[in-house]
Amino acid sequence: MSACTGEPISWLRLERYALGDADAAVTSHLATCAACRGCLDELRGDLVALPTLAVPARRARALRWWQIAVPALAAAALAVALVRPRPHAAGGPTRLAGVKGVGDVVLGLVRDRGGAIRDDVATFAPGDRWKVVVTCATADGAWIDVAVLEAGAVLPDRPLAPAHVACGNAVPVPGAFELTGGKPNRICVRVGAEAASVAPAPSDPDVACVTVTPEAH
Amino acid sequence: MEAVTDPQAAYRAYGPALVRKAERVLRSREDAVDVVHALFVDLLPRWSSDVDLPYLYRAVTNRCLNLVRDRGTRARLLEREQRAAAPVARVRLDDQVVGLALISALADRLDAAHLEVLVARFVDDMTQDEIAEHLGVSRKTVGRRLEHIRAAVIALREVA
Repeated sequence: MSACTGEPISWLRLERYALGDADAAVTSHLATCAACRGCLDELRGDLVALPTLAVPARRARALRWWQIAVPALAAAALAVALVRPRPHAAGGPTRLAGVKGVGDVVLGLVRDRGGAIRDDVATFAPGDRWKVVVTCATADGAWIDVAVLEAGAVLPDRPLAPAHVACGNAVPVPGAFELTGGKPNRICVRVGAEAASVAPAPSDPDVACVTVTPEAH
Repeated sequence: MEAVTDPQAAYRAYGPALVRKAERVLRSREDAVDVVHALFVDLLPRWSSDVDLPYLYRAVTNRCLNLVRDRGTRARLLEREQRAAAPVARVRLDDQVVGLALISALADRLDAAHLEVLVARFVDDMTQDEIAEHLGVSRKTVGRRLEHIRAAVIALREVA
């Protein structure tokens, strides 16, 4: 690419110009600068495939107290009878019962190995990409925070920014991460109605953890 | 440029520009798409008509820098960058292209405010005046931060 004839036009200004922003300074600079013209052509010719942006379900109309209380009591009774927090069995979904402000949540870990998607494994190799999937039902969605603690490490990594997800069945948390090194990693996921400022720890409430181990070569 | 009033329209209109912007930092289109998608998912429940392309640009910068600060993600991105084509560099820092490797190295030495100026100047190719307006600080502050960034790069070279 040739050098710019003066101060280059920033990418933001070029993007706005490409979107139709009338900017005489940009027009006159482009008339004399092949480098910036090349950048504009590059972004105009670039096709970006974006995933669908799912809109969370709208909150239902206000209900009478008994319409809320009766099903809630029934659900609570069923939850007490059937659903108890339990240690996570590696390689399968984990249930968090009665998360404050969110309700029951099922968390899953998905491994992408060269396009082969598995949600029932707990081993990793270099190059694997991991995603967290969430099943929940509240109309307000849930905040998901992921931390990874390598065996022997003191501080966890937070490979994904805390994210708010719209509830649904196996909703992927935005972003993916990779595990490196030769030691087991503990992946902990916190679910909450609000974002938290600190990384999730295994002992915190509403946190589920799973240990994934490196594969022997 | 027409005003975009709802998140879906903004996602369609600005999403590609934001993906390109994130890709210039991360050197990975796949991760850039993830960053932009995650940003809009977060903004959906609290969307405001004040959200415009400069605001989103800044939000993408911060999210990219969060990824670069994470050691595991950084290692993966750096490994991927080695296989990618060399970045376009119209603005250089003392003849040095500011790529992912340098941003990563500086991420351990500079605070968020300086890293934001670093990306605005050497990745987004903004002028000092544009950066000042974009970040809501004085031009003098931008100049001071750029000097601090230069000093950090020199210190890095001396260590290497």
